[in-house]
Amino acid sequence: MADQASCSCGSNRETNLLYSCSGAANTGLLADQVMRTLMHDKVGSGTCLAAVGADLSGFIVSARNATRNIVIDGCPVGCGKRIFEKNSLPYHHFVATDYGVEKGKTFITGDVIESVASKIASEIQAAKG
Amino acid sequence: MKVQILGTGCPKCRMLEETARRVIEKYNLPAEVEKVTDLDAIMDMGVMITPALAIDGEVKSAGKILNEDQVKSYIEGGK
Repeated sequence: MADQASCSCGSNRETNLLYSCSGAANTGLLADQVMRTLMHDKVGSGTCLAAVGADLSGFIVSARNATRNIVIDGCPVGCGKRIFEKNSLPYHHFVATDYGVEKGKTFITGDVIESVASKIASEIQAAKG
Repeated sequence: MKVQILGTGCPKCRMLEETARRVIEKYNLPAEVEKVTDLDAIMDMGVMITPALAIDGEVKSAGKILNEDQVKSYIEGGK
């Protein structure tokens, strides 16, 4: 009998989890939209940074066992980075302002989102080797 | 005590469920097994990698096939 094909089992394949800061500033909006673009492009699966910050067990354990945690912060304050460090979780870190976006100034358009998402996707791909 | 096995039904999820049931019976542990296969329910618990094991609603393991000793340790309150 064939095994059920549809399965979310990650034990034998890469699991890249995406987190974004989703803060109030334009850069938080950008981080969120970039994460959603990367989800759409199947770079990884989006999950909740706030839940990791809230110490919810399922999110913490999933982050601990993911192949890669990709944390996208909007600005250098780095709330996402701090959440991962607080929980001693491994992560790859990206900051929206590293891609020519100014906090409180740059208007977030579809082109800006696509441009930053594309650059981050390339860097993730390079990190995979 | 409720031991939840989270997974959509793949062989690895079934393997973890069988191990949990075997451990509970073998050591006569005061626990019951609940299989959670609904993907929305699994994701509501924050589990992004299956199979996962939760004890009384707290996720202890995700993305791993645990052996008997590991499952026993979690049920007995270990980490």
